[in-house]
Amino acid sequence: MEGFKEALVDALANKVAFTIPVLGGIPISSSVLVTWIIMAFWIIFTLLATRNLKVSNPGKMQIVLESAVEFLNGFVKDTIGPHWRPFAPYLGSVALYIGLANIISIFGLTPPTKDVSVTAALALMSMLLIYGAQFRYNGLAGGMRRFAQPMPVLTPINLMEIAIRPLALCMRLFGNVLGAFIIMEIIKYIVPAVVPAVFCIYFDLFDGLIQTIVFVFLTALFAGEGIKEEEE
Amino acid sequence: MSIGIIAAGIAVLTGIGAGIGIGIATGHASDAIARQPEASGKINSTLLLGCAMAEGTAIFGFITALIIIFMG
Repeated sequence: MEGFKEALVDALANKVAFTIPVLGGIPISSSVLVTWIIMAFWIIFTLLATRNLKVSNPGKMQIVLESAVEFLNGFVKDTIGPHWRPFAPYLGSVALYIGLANIISIFGLTPPTKDVSVTAALALMSMLLIYGAQFRYNGLAGGMRRFAQPMPVLTPINLMEIAIRPLALCMRLFGNVLGAFIIMEIIKYIVPAVVPAVFCIYFDLFDGLIQTIVFVFLTALFAGEGIKEEEE
Repeated sequence: MSIGIIAAGIAVLTGIGAGIGIGIATGHASDAIARQPEASGKINSTLLLGCAMAEGTAIFGFITALIIIFMG
């Protein structure tokens, strides 16, 4: 058991992948390295997939891309309301990043969302989006007044939510990925062959994709909540 | 260390609440879909949101247990 605990602590630590030898050495942790790999993958994929776009007689790839973009736009429009346009590209990129980051352990890399700093950064960006949108579309006074809705009594709770929402977003993603990672490590420790492959489908693929949807959906919902009812 | 293990076990008991909550939510959601199949899209997204919220408590308990085991 002690040996297993040592192995688990070793697996949980955020390792330094390599050090850039300038300014006395800048350590690059493995989560940053894997993030770069994910970025490179999506950039190359986008460049390859968007070649030869045609208005008439589109290819198979273009039809797939168009339906994906249409799905994203429809989802954001449903959740956020009339001001959906600027939010769709951000939410789509976050979904692509988290989605690939959660399932990348299939390819033998450590998922960067296992690092709490990565999920904290994502949650902070979500917080900026939610409250930035609230002040951008309601004005300064209107945005302030939003905190006193639906009743002035609820103002302290609404103010507490500024801190609680990103904390919950961050910990939910981190805890899920870490939990799946630990359970997979335990299964690999007990039965090294065949059985992990079956559980991998649930813990790596299914759970990772569900958490992607939940993160993006909650961000969109909170952002929509801050700006929605003004238009009615 | 053994006390720490027991504390971690107690912290993970938050999973009970999340399990009951998600179970009730899913049960009522399937009820609602059976009554109004045309509203299934809205029901599904509400259910997903509720499950994510309920699951949050279990995740907090899990992280607490991890901190107790590895840091304590």
